Amino acid sequence: MDEKTMTKLSLLCSLTGLGAIYAAAMQVRPTMTPIASLDNQFVGLKVAVSGQVVDSYEHPDGHLFLKLRDDSGSVVSVPVFARVRAELGEPIEFLDIVQVTGEVKLYRGELEVIPEGAGDLRVVHTAPIKLSNLSQEKVDIPVKVQATIVEREIVGSGSMILTLQEDSSQLSVFVPAWIVENGLPELHVGNVVRVDGWLRIYNEELELKLGAPSHLRVVEAA
Amino acid sequence: MLEVLAYTLLGVGLGTFTGLIPGIHVNNLTPLLVGVAAVSGLPPMNIVAAIVAMMMANTIISYIPATFLGAPEPGTELSVLPAHRLLLEGRGYEAIRLTAFGCLGALMLSAALALPLSLVFGPAYAFVQPQMHWLLFVVISAMIALERSRSGILWATTIFLLSGLLGLFTLDTNLVRGDVALMPLLSGLFGVSVLLLSAFSKGSLPKQNVEDSEPLELRGNARALCAGTGAGILTGIIPGIGPSQGTVLAQLVTRSSGTREFLVGVSGVNTAKALFSFVALYAIARPRSGAAVAVDQLIDKVGLSELLFLVGVALVAGGIATVLHLRLGRLAARRIGGLPYREMCLTVISGMAVMTFWYAGLLGLLILATATAIGVLPAVAKVKRTHCMGTIMVPCILYFAGMKDVVLSAIGL
Repeated sequence: MDEKTMTKLSLLCSLTGLGAIYAAAMQVRPTMTPIASLDNQFVGLKVAVSGQVVDSYEHPDGHLFLKLRDDSGSVVSVPVFARVRAELGEPIEFLDIVQVTGEVKLYRGELEVIPEGAGDLRVVHTAPIKLSNLSQEKVDIPVKVQATIVEREIVGSGSMILTLQEDSSQLSVFVPAWIVENGLPELHVGNVVRVDGWLRIYNEELELKLGAPSHLRVVEAA
Repeated sequence: MLEVLAYTLLGVGLGTFTGLIPGIHVNNLTPLLVGVAAVSGLPPMNIVAAIVAMMMANTIISYIPATFLGAPEPGTELSVLPAHRLLLEGRGYEAIRLTAFGCLGALMLSAALALPLSLVFGPAYAFVQPQMHWLLFVVISAMIALERSRSGILWATTIFLLSGLLGLFTLDTNLVRGDVALMPLLSGLFGVSVLLLSAFSKGSLPKQNVEDSEPLELRGNARALCAGTGAGILTGIIPGIGPSQGTVLAQLVTRSSGTREFLVGVSGVNTAKALFSFVALYAIARPRSGAAVAVDQLIDKVGLSELLFLVGVALVAGGIATVLHLRLGRLAARRIGGLPYREMCLTVISGMAVMTFWYAGLLGLLILATATAIGVLPAVAKVKRTHCMGTIMVPCILYFAGMKDVVLSAIGL
């Protein structure tokens, strides 16, 4: 075979192969995967998952670690690294609905879906629930509320009880001592705050328990 | 201490195995070692020693099949042709000695520079990272412009873009798992294509001369060694630039084109890159190779004492592996002349096809075949094989420019 024929043949094979690979790649585009179906066999594959933020942790270096839960009830970790977070430019809050596309990786025995860029994340913000809509039926589910502090009290070994009011409804927020001492913003009566947490019953009354300092932020100063 | 030494020796053994067998890479074995560390309760530092030793030994020993069979591991692709030139002149063992010199020299040099440079790299990396895609673009433009003739530049661009498209379709979609996608790509572009051409171009190899080689002079090779080490350190820290691009950089700096200088340079690039992929864990807190990812999982935070440990193990393993490299290389040179070369090449090709099928299935074979067709083009168009590195560089540039999703969705993927 002379060189010219070989060149033509190689080019033809390259282009045909590329065409076939392109067609195959079109067939395996990621569609939404239920979180419950993710297992070790997905490691290395790109998936798209969608779920509600049920836990978040902010690393001092600016990384944000989310836990997403979807309708299947299962939870997956989504690390949003500082660079991606800066690109995204908008905050991701508790209970927001996040759609994320990324490669599945196994980190310390736990499955993670890792977005490479801001384009891999789509955030649908959810509004806070009205205090008047809170009832005992919502116990043990995560909620997000926004209201004015009307009372602030230190109890026991440094824990704090905040009383929030919206219209005529009130709700107590329990802030454990370790959160009070570790990065809780300065709070005054009259501040409008947004608080995320899990509802519980304490002394036969509804109460919200704060899980991390970042779950409370001042929206409007007094 | 003795335990660490024992695990280092185990790593050298495993690295020799992965280096000698084309198609098997360190990355195939590291998950196994990390798994062993997780279930056995062995001290993680012992496993780290084994992984680092395996990586260093693999880097050095892989020049034996690269020289005698033309089946390179990722990273050795560029040195294949110069080593083949020596092999066809009956001086395959000289290629082994030159790569041994390059590897050991670069290892010592980069070990000495590991600490001082890691203090500078952190801030420098933060400065360079936003401009990474431009940096890669300049390297590619230089690579293509080096072809000089008009048709050469045209072919180089075509090959670069074809392999780039192949990389984009393969690495950034769900065709095959991310961690195995590189195997059919690199085996096709740099392995099977080279082997096919050698299998069909000649009958057998000349008898190899292993006795009267001249002693290697440090002075004559110092420039290639330093440039290779420098380029290797750079490519160990910056993602996306492989040793091949590093070698082109080193060639540009030293303006060297001789086969011997080239082999010293390219093996220097590879070894310095292997060591600095671990040093990057300390300098910029990011892993820069599959083995470094594994080390990162085993050590919580790489501090100064861990860095010294990693460099120490790499030096011990590199020293032992260089001696093994020379011994095994001499043995291979003695035996290769009488062996049926064409059949050996075809056996290795079949081996690579079987491995690809095993790890990546039928789609993997399709990728391997396409990559092989593209890999034949540089030889018939008489341009450098480096342009095939577009397969990794195109996705990398798009990623750093923040354009990957835009491009992928524009082409409907």
